[in-house]
Amino acid sequence: MPDVCIGFEVHQPFRLNRHFSPDPKKKEKDLHALYFDELNREVLERVAEKCYLPATRIILDKLDEGFHCTFSFSGTLIEQLEKWKPDVLSLFDQVARHRNSEILGQTYYHSIAGCFGDKSEFVAQAGMHTDLMYDLFKIRPTVFENTEFTFNNQIASCVKKMGYAGIFTEGVDRILDWRSPHHIYSCNDLPVLLRDIQLSDDIAFRFGNQGWDKYPLTADTYAEWISGTSGDLVNIFLDYETFGEHFWKETGIFNFLTYLPEELEKRGVRTTLPTEALENYPPVGTIDVRDTISWADIEKDASAWMGNERQHTAYSAIQKAATFAKGKAIWRYLQTSDHFYYMASKYGTCGEVHNYFSHHEADDAFKIYMAILADFENRNIRFMKNKRSAKTLRTLTPEEAFHFASPSGHVGYAAYSLDQFCDLLQVVPADSIAYHQERGDIAQWIEHVLFDQKLATDISGITDRQDLISTLTERRKLLWSHLT
Amino acid sequence: MESLNVAFFCWESLYAERVGGLASAATRLAEALAKNHNVHFFTRGWMQDQEINGVSYHYCQPQGNNTVQYCENMSNQMVDQFQQSDPQEKFDILHFHDWHPIQALHRLQDRETILTFHSTEYGRNGNQYGDWWEYKEISGKEWYGGLVAKKVTAVSTVMKHEVMQLYNVPDWKCDVVPNGIVPEQYRASIDPGDVKRAYGIHPYAPLILFIGRLVYQKGPDLFIEALRKVCRDRWDAKVIVAGDGGMRQYLQERARDLPVNFVGYIPDSEYIRLLNACDLVVIPSRNEPFGLVLLEAWSAEKPVVACDVGGLSENIDTFINGIKVQPEPESLAWGIGTMIGDPVHAQVLGRRGRTKVDRQFLWNPIANRMTDTYARVGG
Repeated sequence: MPDVCIGFEVHQPFRLNRHFSPDPKKKEKDLHALYFDELNREVLERVAEKCYLPATRIILDKLDEGFHCTFSFSGTLIEQLEKWKPDVLSLFDQVARHRNSEILGQTYYHSIAGCFGDKSEFVAQAGMHTDLMYDLFKIRPTVFENTEFTFNNQIASCVKKMGYAGIFTEGVDRILDWRSPHHIYSCNDLPVLLRDIQLSDDIAFRFGNQGWDKYPLTADTYAEWISGTSGDLVNIFLDYETFGEHFWKETGIFNFLTYLPEELEKRGVRTTLPTEALENYPPVGTIDVRDTISWADIEKDASAWMGNERQHTAYSAIQKAATFAKGKAIWRYLQTSDHFYYMASKYGTCGEVHNYFSHHEADDAFKIYMAILADFENRNIRFMKNKRSAKTLRTLTPEEAFHFASPSGHVGYAAYSLDQFCDLLQVVPADSIAYHQERGDIAQWIEHVLFDQKLATDISGITDRQDLISTLTERRKLLWSHLT
Repeated sequence: MESLNVAFFCWESLYAERVGGLASAATRLAEALAKNHNVHFFTRGWMQDQEINGVSYHYCQPQGNNTVQYCENMSNQMVDQFQQSDPQEKFDILHFHDWHPIQALHRLQDRETILTFHSTEYGRNGNQYGDWWEYKEISGKEWYGGLVAKKVTAVSTVMKHEVMQLYNVPDWKCDVVPNGIVPEQYRASIDPGDVKRAYGIHPYAPLILFIGRLVYQKGPDLFIEALRKVCRDRWDAKVIVAGDGGMRQYLQERARDLPVNFVGYIPDSEYIRLLNACDLVVIPSRNEPFGLVLLEAWSAEKPVVACDVGGLSENIDTFINGIKVQPEPESLAWGIGTMIGDPVHAQVLGRRGRTKVDRQFLWNPIANRMTDTYARVGG
């Protein structure tokens, strides 16, 4: 009979201010209040009452009785608890220091930095998280859990290099083929613990579903299922908010949590911790993950954060913003995965899940994000060594962006920076480019929005797409060389 | 992966002389290959030789009194230019596209050569044999190319079988390497309601789109007859037919009592707007060697109803990313009705189509498949 390793991801983002509008009078120290929503406190307090406090009290009792479980706390959550709910933090402190628990490493900002081409930011944020865990709990995590289980070969190599003993990710069929997720595998020499999707989702998604033929799920049935599996190790990993927040206490979720440890014990199923599991079970094979996987939606890939054009725009903008970020804190808050999650345009049940978690509509989420990022960069330009080049290369607000059109209306492409404009020139229809060049729109935009008189003159009158691209690219390279 | 020196021979390219879809297919393939290999592209053009996106272009300016002569002249100029660069570049693979540069293939036949059939003269002639001299000359060149090239590729299995049948190319010699697509060119963030309103269509009315030449092969007549049935159940459905061709007048006559708007030939930007605004793309072709419209619709995450023929048949998985029907009005009507009857499910099919594009039809994986074929040229 396999051991079972149960883990919880505990995270709250700093949601962006839905009512943001630029306010040049605001000082640096007020930026946090300007960019992030008052709602954050409200949500935290609600989740604390409904989930963190009751669930953690149960878990503390169970840990005393010999139950083992694992927690992964994001840095942004900890900051919020310190500010608004210190009582929860002291409970988490007891959990973290308990001999039967283990704390995992992750990125401080619960960010998408693991997917960036340049991994230095990812490494920095993992380091910040370790420091935070040490400051609070005197613990240095040895096993890693990347944001929402996002994982690929490069992340594996990087996490290995940072010295972690292993990582959690999703037991996705397409990387396992016929193999069972109930073993440890290795990826680029890093041992990998794979989440059992079915058993995890039985709690995370199906628990409260009255249409499910196994409804209502009780702890004894669930323990029975686990004891009936084979292999070395079953990994169950859940959003901690499942208990009391996603499923309210009326659904019986707390009873389930209360009785699960003893039902498992009755059947001889041992609960274990990841470090122990890694010591007991060597990898039985290797996995090769070229395309990023995650635990999100049915696609189990990065599409929840990088699935549509809006998300791509924001994703490249935030990476570019590194150059503008004099103080890195705000820039890093803007890397939190949730901001990207809110911009998704998904249909069906996954779409409903995205909407449930979001405090605004997908298109608004994108516009607010870009407006805040643009404001942030704009404020930083005065610290940069070449202010004029920085001005031309900055990220633009939705109002400043270049929206491609034809005589009959918008064609559906928008450029939020000079870089993106160049990229889009490769794909927008030729007649749209011709239309704008005839009217002189592009030169106007470059002169009045990007403030580059020279470039505006250089490109006016160019009709060939390729000539336009090479003129712009040359200028863009030169301007970037002023900044780095 | 070993880096190869590759020479492309194609009479059109994206940044110089461009005639049709071949320009885009050959250029994008060359650019994707150039990420791992050294690619030189011999083609026509009236500008200085240049490098674009990693590909080095060599231009020639051919002359001739007819297409065949013109292409022979072009081929000879290409070979001259090739021989100038060859001592330095030491080309490993010579890749020819369609019949135009066959004379160059003839002169360079001792090298490692590969010929790609994007189409055949028979197919371009509407799947019929021709009896005039150009038809014979061009078919003859296609046959000869298939004979002397060390390896042949076709853009779909149907095309492969066509080439095998027409020109006796043996099965072992011919690989299938499909065309790729740049999906970003077709997916735009646009409010469908705005576009529909511009055409006098209510934002919530289901909009069905047909795009293509109005010729027998593309089956627009089947589509119009199918619509008669569809509209009996769905009075709110609206249809836009984009494209022009010999059958237009006849079709307009037939569709007089139907909610069909014939918009004729439209610029690319308008196509992008319509493609992203519509609720369903119908491809009623009787024959389709590859069917690029399918990839375009999928790129825009649109569901498709298409006839179970050619490349469409190979690529669509029914009820997973589209619906395949028989090339007849009743069957088409059923497919269209099923799709617009369940718009939420239809959107899911469209998204899965995009997923298939992202997994299988981006130029990078296609270039990898081509590289596999290159590896087999010598063997």
